[in-house]
Amino acid sequence: MTSSNGNGSARPLVLLCECAGTLTNIDFDRLEQHAGLHADVIRGTHWCSRVGQAQMLELMDTGAKGGPRGENGRQLVFAGCSADFAARRFQKLLARGLQLEIADIREGCSWVHGDDVDAVTDKAARVIDSSIAYPDAPADTMSYAERHDTVVVVGGGVAGTQAAAELAQMGHHVELVERRPFLGGRAARIGTVFPTNDCGQCLPTTDAQAGTRKCFHRNVAIDHPDLSIHRRSTVEAVTGHPGDFQVSIRTLPNIVTDACINCGTCETVCEVESSEPGKKAIFTEFYDGRVIRTVDLETCTFCGKCAGECPVEAIDFAQSPKRTTVQAGAILTATGCEPAPEKYFDYLGYGHDGVVTQVELTDMLDDWTAQASLGRMPVEELVMIQCAGSRDQRHLPHCSRLCCMIALKHAIRLKTLFPAMKVTICYLEMRTAGVGYENWFLDARRAGVEFLRGTPPEVQFDAAGRPVIEVEDVTAARKRVLRPDLVVLSTGMVPAEGTDKLAQTLAVDHDKDGFIEILDRKNRATETSGEGIFVCGSAAGPKALIEVNTEASAVASEIHNFLTSAGRRGTAATRVDASQCVGCDTCTARCPFNAITLVDRPEWEARPEEVKDDGKLAVIDAESCRACGICAANCPEVAIAHNLSDDALFGRIATMTQGVDKPVVGFYCKECAGAAIGLAGQRRDKYPESVRLIELPCLGRVSALHIVEAARLGAAGVFLAGCAEGRCQYRTGDTSALEQMTIAEEVLADGGAPLPLELWHLCAVDRMSVGRRIRMFHARAVGDEFSEALVEHEMELIGATAAAGAGCPGGEPCGCHR
Amino acid sequence: MAAIADTHEYPQAVVDEFERLKQECSICYQCGTCTSSCPSGRELYRGPRRIVRLILAGEIEAVLKSDDLWRCTECGTCTSVCRMDIDVAAILHSLRQLEREHGGLHCAERTAADVATTHLKKRPRIDNMRFGVAMVSRGYVPKDKIGAAEMGMKLARQMLPGGKKRPGDEALPADAVTLPFYAGCAIPQDHELYAVVHEVAAGFGVRLEESADPGCCGHPSRGTVDSLFASRERVYTACPACDASLAESGIEAVPLWDALTERAGRSSSISLTASGERFVPYVGCLADRDAALAALGDAAEQSGAEMAVDYPTLHNGCCGALGGMYRGATKSSARLLEFAARQQAPVVTTCVLCRDNLRSAARELKLDVHVHFWPEFFRAVPTAPEERTDD
Repeated sequence: MTSSNGNGSARPLVLLCECAGTLTNIDFDRLEQHAGLHADVIRGTHWCSRVGQAQMLELMDTGAKGGPRGENGRQLVFAGCSADFAARRFQKLLARGLQLEIADIREGCSWVHGDDVDAVTDKAARVIDSSIAYPDAPADTMSYAERHDTVVVVGGGVAGTQAAAELAQMGHHVELVERRPFLGGRAARIGTVFPTNDCGQCLPTTDAQAGTRKCFHRNVAIDHPDLSIHRRSTVEAVTGHPGDFQVSIRTLPNIVTDACINCGTCETVCEVESSEPGKKAIFTEFYDGRVIRTVDLETCTFCGKCAGECPVEAIDFAQSPKRTTVQAGAILTATGCEPAPEKYFDYLGYGHDGVVTQVELTDMLDDWTAQASLGRMPVEELVMIQCAGSRDQRHLPHCSRLCCMIALKHAIRLKTLFPAMKVTICYLEMRTAGVGYENWFLDARRAGVEFLRGTPPEVQFDAAGRPVIEVEDVTAARKRVLRPDLVVLSTGMVPAEGTDKLAQTLAVDHDKDGFIEILDRKNRATETSGEGIFVCGSAAGPKALIEVNTEASAVASEIHNFLTSAGRRGTAATRVDASQCVGCDTCTARCPFNAITLVDRPEWEARPEEVKDDGKLAVIDAESCRACGICAANCPEVAIAHNLSDDALFGRIATMTQGVDKPVVGFYCKECAGAAIGLAGQRRDKYPESVRLIELPCLGRVSALHIVEAARLGAAGVFLAGCAEGRCQYRTGDTSALEQMTIAEEVLADGGAPLPLELWHLCAVDRMSVGRRIRMFHARAVGDEFSEALVEHEMELIGATAAAGAGCPGGEPCGCHR
Repeated sequence: MAAIADTHEYPQAVVDEFERLKQECSICYQCGTCTSSCPSGRELYRGPRRIVRLILAGEIEAVLKSDDLWRCTECGTCTSVCRMDIDVAAILHSLRQLEREHGGLHCAERTAADVATTHLKKRPRIDNMRFGVAMVSRGYVPKDKIGAAEMGMKLARQMLPGGKKRPGDEALPADAVTLPFYAGCAIPQDHELYAVVHEVAAGFGVRLEESADPGCCGHPSRGTVDSLFASRERVYTACPACDASLAESGIEAVPLWDALTERAGRSSSISLTASGERFVPYVGCLADRDAALAALGDAAEQSGAEMAVDYPTLHNGCCGALGGMYRGATKSSARLLEFAARQQAPVVTTCVLCRDNLRSAARELKLDVHVHFWPEFFRAVPTAPEERTDD
């Protein structure tokens, strides 16, 4: 039965599986005979049994490792269960290097069709033919030897510093870039924080230190030899590609050197007021233990008085700005957020003596002298206004997430310090979602804080300058007039200054509020749209410290994985055929991963005739490419070669539809739609044999040409199934497919032969409904929509009690009215 | 019972329009900022938020029956403060439109009629003379139900329109201008006041040309306003309620006081004089607050009178009227009148309705405060050297 020649024969070997007799509607004799026309066939009742796997191992030992013809010896085609199922059953053999091309005649054929043995056997034969003739591309393992083991961390707040320290402890070299002279960021400067009600200036300790956390100035984790800190520094430019970035960093001088002993002489002799109130041009701020003092370069007159008086000669005005370039494998953006500027909340009377923000209240709570700057003291009545400028289409549309808890924290603190003070919180919604947060809400209520549902449109002032707030008490259904001594605005947060510029430099996306956009809201919260560029903390949206700390640790492991992994991709990167590329920007604009760039076409590179010498050429970065095929589907010159080539795709369509009357062709991505369709097969949800499915890496791979080709070959209808709405695993595959489908629709309509075309969004939960959806689409496509037999069958499936309604019977949200 | 189930009683057009409005305000947070800002609801708890909530809940009946619709002066404050950029004022406008087209009996006039009949179920008579007469003249209430028995009838006969001739043109100077004037319902009912308005206008060299039947300005469900004037040019009014209603039916209405003050400011031969040295300004809820205050301010400046202001007076407050009928002093009117009493200055208002209501409130609060309508306080005098008349 086996082929006698084992030395890399061109003739493939089909391992035909009867699946222990469960594929009752297939005539295996006829199938074996058919497959035998193009290949050698070994038939087994149950290839995944112990005996079957032993036989496979034997085949491997005799040189048949599978893979495409001519590469690893013989091509091995396994005709049986689906690729997903086979991958689990033959896991150990696959791990040992077995390469199987899967022809799914079980979930994709026998189990989902009826008792018409001839028709089902025909289809199984087509599936096997297609797998023999047009196999998947070989797995591609990419070597990442060139990845620099260095991470540039932008932002030295708690998020950046903690991630930097952890990465250094994992053995990577870290360059920490902080714009300000001091580390610690906002958290270290804002007094107490929730939910712990202590200060925010600590980091987790290393093993070498006692306790669980230490202040910045006492924490030795930051002193790791592999962690170098650039203060007063910004990232100016980034070139290169993932694994090999060249990051150019500009550093302003600190003037005060490490020799400083913090005696303060300089500050007493300095005569220049800094732009920040109450500070001299030479000043100290948050003590992070490494830099003690610094000079405000904007206001300093460089008179040199301080340098002359300094007892340890720690002031050196001769320093100048410098530029360093770092080779890095990965970049982490941890630039954080900052309080919204005044323009977002000045409509609430800000600027008047009696109105402050929560940030300013923090200072007042920590430093009693700050109170003196306020008009009406002592405060007897205080009103906090939540969502000041937030959740507001005209100001900041997003929820800043922190403000509710900050208000609770301050309200409780105020009630503790001044039990007689009347504290009212005007709120829109109290958002206290977090471990233990709800207790703060209850504690505040117990402490006597009044909660008033309703937000005022303005803060007015009476003749004495006292704030007057007219507000609807929504829950009590009345109007109230409040006359507090002090109004505190809970203002929102915006991305830290310069975030947009940094995003531009790094070529990563930001969301509509300006924060760095994360790759996937559910599963990849610390990655950005740029491969090798990560994000953590409030740079991706305002977050509480508890989440920031968690994310810092998470991103450190994520970066560690990135720098040390052998590669994420099993399939080859897409390539551009220089002899076809005309250098338009379609692919660069389309690529969801910014993997394609237009470069000046090298002299030696091939070019199409119409391209002049200075023409551009698209180049795909193999590391960033995720092989979705969106570029290939959209290239107007068909100049991009995806590992699933157009020839193979056309071949698969032709093979699968050959000899079928009114076939319905379904293209589906092997990601979420593949899961839904595969699981529906496991449920044996039946649909007609004339439905022919073509698997794609991503739905974005499909182009109008493929749809038109299916129509040309006689398809009665074409459906496209991709991942859940807005959840394409390659970000924009479904939108690309929709556009291509629209083009095909127009082309077919122009040609006078319109065809039912639909695009579906599926995920694994749709396993319950996708069978019905396919049946209904098939019925519509072949004109059988309202036939009695069909309606009766559907009614039977959903239970006789259901009312017979025409059209879509789906209980699940159904995309049939696209 | 007004529930979602009541929608079937309404024509499809109403249901569709509600669906559209529901879409428009579907993102409402119910933050209450609109109601907080609503001048009409400052004292009496009212405002757009509740209406929006009822739209979202599908309670068509409750929305269309709501008095709040007719209390809206289209000042647009709610729209300008809405954090979700919902055009709340436009939604209320659409609702009024809807009510007129598919109308129950909920517009202001009919609400007032409702108030009157309900009142009569509990009490033998309506004591508020002007209100009573208005109701009688429109046929909602029998004549013997107003005032104190015969005395009431006698007064009422005088007040009913049609009896007395219109104020004459005797005081008009030669170069007088003629302005189209819409007197509305309240002013002609008070013959004295009616005369004062014409007289004061004449002093400014202005002849007021009225349409034959002022009728009811509005909530122009009656549809008479369209036919009042030959052209839809601007019309001068003496009542902010008329301004709002005429504006809603597309006629440009200008407060007469603004025009007169401006005329005096321009002319060298006319100057304004005030019948007191200082006064407390009050513009009420219906008028365009900023414009009305500015006009009062200009008048004060030209006449040399001093405005005594404090927080309550500078804001649209509530004089105490609800559904057109005085229902007792409110916090706002009490605050205002107490302030005026302390200042020993009269209250001057641009709203004829406020005048009556504040006078009632002053009586109720036993405060010795005079309340004047604009023309009762300000007059024009020909500019002559050092000549000041004590009026």
